[in-house]
Amino acid sequence: MSALDGIKLYFFHHHHYIDIPDDHERYRATMVDYPNSLYDPEKGYELYERHFRSILRAEQLGFDGICLNEHHSMTYSMSPTVGLMAARYVTATDRCPIMVAGTPINLQYPNRVAEEYALLDVMSGGRMEYAFPLGTGMEYWANEGTVNPTTARKRFRESLDIILRAWTEDGPMRYEGDFYTYRYLNVWPKPYQKPYPKCFIVGTGSEETVQLAVDYGMGYSIVFVPIPSQLKAFARFRELAAERGRTVEPDDLIIVVMAYVADTDEEAVREAQPHIETFFSWFHRVTPRFLVPPGYVTTKEFLRRASDAAMADSTKATWDDMVSIGRIACGSPDTVAETIVNWCEEAGAGRVNVVLENGDMPEWKIAKNTTLFADEVMPRIRARIGGKTADRELATAGVK
Amino acid sequence: MPEFREEHLDVNGVDTAVFSAGEGPPFVFFHGAGTVTGFDCLLPLAERFRLIVPHHPGFGASADDASVDDIHDYVRHYLDLLDLLGVEEFSLGGLSMGGYLAASFSIYQPHRVRRLVLGAPIGLRVREHPTIDIFSIPDEELLGYLTEDMSIFEGKVPMPPTPEFLAERYRESTSTARLFWKRVYDLKLTRWLHRLTMPTLVVWGDADKLVPVEQAAVWAEHIPNAEVRILPGVGHLIFDESAEAVDAIADFVGAELTV
Repeated sequence: MSALDGIKLYFFHHHHYIDIPDDHERYRATMVDYPNSLYDPEKGYELYERHFRSILRAEQLGFDGICLNEHHSMTYSMSPTVGLMAARYVTATDRCPIMVAGTPINLQYPNRVAEEYALLDVMSGGRMEYAFPLGTGMEYWANEGTVNPTTARKRFRESLDIILRAWTEDGPMRYEGDFYTYRYLNVWPKPYQKPYPKCFIVGTGSEETVQLAVDYGMGYSIVFVPIPSQLKAFARFRELAAERGRTVEPDDLIIVVMAYVADTDEEAVREAQPHIETFFSWFHRVTPRFLVPPGYVTTKEFLRRASDAAMADSTKATWDDMVSIGRIACGSPDTVAETIVNWCEEAGAGRVNVVLENGDMPEWKIAKNTTLFADEVMPRIRARIGGKTADRELATAGVK
Repeated sequence: MPEFREEHLDVNGVDTAVFSAGEGPPFVFFHGAGTVTGFDCLLPLAERFRLIVPHHPGFGASADDASVDDIHDYVRHYLDLLDLLGVEEFSLGGLSMGGYLAASFSIYQPHRVRRLVLGAPIGLRVREHPTIDIFSIPDEELLGYLTEDMSIFEGKVPMPPTPEFLAERYRESTSTARLFWKRVYDLKLTRWLHRLTMPTLVVWGDADKLVPVEQAAVWAEHIPNAEVRILPGVGHLIFDESAEAVDAIADFVGAELTV
């Protein structure tokens, strides 16, 4: 595996709706059927403002980029239309790349996604990057019934095909697929970046999504699944890409890391642990039925999951389980930097989506964590792996 | 009591399991959206008829066919299967999804169906008495929706369920979702029920928690020659729960033989 010669650290933000009711035990899920009567728009406003501060702080502190995502009908995310969220950050920032990771394209007409993403790319002067998710199982329960989970993967592939053709080929063109028919596919605008912005497939490491990334020449962005599964997926990605004569670059691979930095390891664990536990026990709370609607995975994959004790309910995981299976880097600047460098080298990944705000973390911890990460961890990572020093002075000078 | 013989036929590329028992005029039965309880409850019919119970593609012992996404795909599958079996005229019955399928088949080829039995069929939108969306029922409550008599699952549902059992249910649920994820009814179905000119028996349990018994009257209103039989205290899986329901098929279908 080639040595890493640089690393991109993106500030990844979930946009949680943080309000845990006193009778929280009675809810089976905080997604899909968690009642929206529990949503308080005034609280929502405060949180959007707070999340906005967190993200701007990250840009000002010199993160290499920011990353936003989209989910539907869940407290986990207040970002049901990530393109709109991105538009806010495009106008509020002027330096860093913005990764939109992303609208589950099955939930939208593909020409609309192509238009919206091209629009953002032009508005931002070419700062956009996109990662395409299939959408969690929960998204299929929350969406209109025409989008059938049994055909989700076929539809996803066709949607991607339409988006890429709309971006790269001159229109108008006719398109006749199994799911979509276009008489005049002719999106305005087309992307600012040529042939199109850097793109990734978001996946859990399944053969299908890895294959998709290879087929479309995209990168692979892995979600929070056990580390051995992540490594296996990256290995498979390299293998399939090699068969096509493509070398997978570190810039094609993204790992997601939860990090919390404090002066000492003990202090970091003490300050972070309750919030990361809440992240899993509350924000991840979901029923097996919602997680895997019919046909969302193959019967074979379902059997593998049902038989695999390690895939058991993550909301019941202990702290030690979480730390041992997932990429949770919690400790002093030395510990966190060392851990992230090791993970990147092990995975050959040149990109990290760093999650510094988890669960019900108060704002002072987010500010502290983000600042310490930027001031103390980033220089240590860059000293080890190299790469450019973020143009932080420029960024700070650019703040209006 | 007769026993089922299992045979496998290649129906247009899909390995299809067909369970048959008995001799006599053919009675074909289309099962509902699950095969957990098996079909031994129907075996008394084999004493008078050639009982034919195929497993639909995607269910039980038949192979998957991911291209099936519409009730009409199953109708076309059965046109081929019946040709392979050499069955020209027959009586037809079905439960739940199988009832909807039997009605759909009979709309296209009414001349082949001597007598039709619809057991708690889905397929209609009855706003005042809607069919419960099976996908929205929490797993732990599902069995209670299916039956009034939980003893029908004894020896058929492992407790706790094994991963293999759950995976097989997931497979059948996937096959069901291919057709019914969006909705379990056809808005235009009532317009074509006038084509069901054969004697038709609509049979329902009045304790059906999945497809309300009130829907029986809507079927009877649109089918020219229908009679309705309501079974008190019986849930959705009528033929598992009630020997009387199976006898009702025998009497109704057999009536033709004595004319």
